[in-house]
Amino acid sequence: MTATDAVTRRVFASYLFIGLLLAATGFIWSVSLGVTDLRWNDVLQGLLGGKETKEQLVISTIRVPRALVAALAGAALAVAGALMQAMTRNAFASPQIFGINAGASFFVVLFIVFFPGISSSALVFAAFAGAFMGGLLVFILGYSNDHRTPVQLALAGIAVSMLLSAMTEGFIVLYDNQTKNVLFWLAGAVHNGTWKDVHTVIPWSLTGMMIALLLSRSLTILSLGDDIARGLGQNILFIRLAVSCTVIMLAGSAVSIVGPIGFVGLIVPHIVRHWVGVDYRFILPLTAVFGSVLLLYADIVSRFISYPFESPVGIVTTGIGAPYLLYLLLRRRGRL
Amino acid sequence: MRRPKYLYGVLAAALLTAVMLNLMLGTVSVSFRQIGSIFMGHGDSQLLNILVNYRLPRMLLCLMVGGCLALAGAILQGLIQNPLASPDVIGLSKGAGLAAVMIILLFPGAPVGIIPWAAFIGASIMGAALMFIATRFELKPTSLALSGMALGAMAGAGIQYVTVKHMNDANTALLWLAGSLWGRSWEHVWLLLPWAIIAVPLLFYLSFRLDVLQLGDNAASGLGLSVRHIRIVLLTAAVCLTGISVAVAGTIGFIGLIAPHMARKLTGPIHKHMLPVTALLGAILVTFSDVIGRIVISPREVPVGIVTAIIGAPYFLYLLGKKK
Repeated sequence: MTATDAVTRRVFASYLFIGLLLAATGFIWSVSLGVTDLRWNDVLQGLLGGKETKEQLVISTIRVPRALVAALAGAALAVAGALMQAMTRNAFASPQIFGINAGASFFVVLFIVFFPGISSSALVFAAFAGAFMGGLLVFILGYSNDHRTPVQLALAGIAVSMLLSAMTEGFIVLYDNQTKNVLFWLAGAVHNGTWKDVHTVIPWSLTGMMIALLLSRSLTILSLGDDIARGLGQNILFIRLAVSCTVIMLAGSAVSIVGPIGFVGLIVPHIVRHWVGVDYRFILPLTAVFGSVLLLYADIVSRFISYPFESPVGIVTTGIGAPYLLYLLLRRRGRL
Repeated sequence: MRRPKYLYGVLAAALLTAVMLNLMLGTVSVSFRQIGSIFMGHGDSQLLNILVNYRLPRMLLCLMVGGCLALAGAILQGLIQNPLASPDVIGLSKGAGLAAVMIILLFPGAPVGIIPWAAFIGASIMGAALMFIATRFELKPTSLALSGMALGAMAGAGIQYVTVKHMNDANTALLWLAGSLWGRSWEHVWLLLPWAIIAVPLLFYLSFRLDVLQLGDNAASGLGLSVRHIRIVLLTAAVCLTGISVAVAGTIGFIGLIAPHMARKLTGPIHKHMLPVTALLGAILVTFSDVIGRIVISPREVPVGIVTAIIGAPYFLYLLGKKK
């Protein structure tokens, strides 16, 4: 183990500690906040079980699943973004910019319109199909361009997202009887997360994150470039395939529950990479933790925007993420 | 390049067909002969009313909106040197949409006539912000496009917030956002006409400069073009064209994206030939789409923006596949 490696490990450990602390605080804060305002010791008692009170009921049926959905979706979207950035070596890669969110939401809306009684566990598969389609379109488009740059691939993604969301909006306007729920979901919402949602999303996001961790070493090598990775004996095709499937699993399952929440997958990996460098064994766990942190706190902020109205959490992440994207663009303007 | 004269003949025929269909079809059909007799001055007064007060302004709006959006797209694609740029991609339409949705939902009592102005102002603010970023940080064109996307995302979040907050009246706003020419009148025609008239000479003035710009910044400034200056002029032109068409018709997507592509395929990349064809194609597409939207689920209407998306999307996908 080299000296720098030891330093990175220490940095990693301390950020992981901070992240987990923030996540735990955010979780408890999120649970305590709402129309029935709860004190922290109520929350702790409620979380730990104990006597059957009204507070405990609110906590276990409404607040906890909501916070869990936020934490899981945040982690899934952020890790999906990190995987995409490693695989494409594109600073702008993220489920939102590369058309995956838009594809997933298009298919979800399509299935809601044509199969009104569809269950949420079946919708996850619709979201997978849509995510696959969106991502595929962007790559066909982006890689058919002779002189592609990160920005051009991103532009291809935006064009595809636009196409898909225009069609999504079209379906919403034409079949407006289910509009209400879909509109809220499209803006990105965790506030009506239930235990059923948690159970739907948990197997996919945990499996996805496990696979991502297993791939982390290969990802680090892949992010150095195809030639180097091949020279180091990596099976590039296999890694790409595995990474793509993982991205679809993570982003698709998250979007099917909380809607196309933007910018989480873009900004979290950037910030984390800024802290711990290029090694994905460190990047991925931190990305997952801080993705949860971001969405938990964004959810808390969203409740304050026009209390007691539940504002969609997606507008908070966009409010943070879009300026960050601008900052990235302006900082890198010499190199694009 | 290929033969423009022949091409103009075909385009003129297509335009004429689209225009006639747009006048004839709808909840109340007007036959060709009836239109003829109305123009000769002796026809059913009820049909005359429908034709003059509803169909004619709507048809003219289709032509102008289509032309303006297509030109805005062509200008942006030339400016950003990327075939995927369009007014909707770089966020101009989103800015207009936010302003309009705010008027519709936050001030339900406001007169309808304010919405176009609000939309125009929204697009202009978006354009001004983009221009500020572009000149202040001397961005390359492609980064400019992505900045536009970031700004557009913020406006989009605003739209979502306002619509979700005022869910019960959201349908009016959604209809506007989807792009519709329903219920438009002569008032809107007069709003759009001066801009369309300004746009035509402007387009000839700009066409040569757009060509030079394609050679790259160094070559262009070597040939005596003030690249910075011309970019601002082009962006302003695109903002105005987008702003005013979105103002009267809502956000009609894909015209600015696909019309310039089709035109480039027909005439080659020289803007002097390509821009007029782009405008014509845009006009034809919107006029046809409007007819389709009016007749598929008559007496209800599919917003024209959805029809353009459904027509535009496959063509767009075809383009992607073709490029390999």
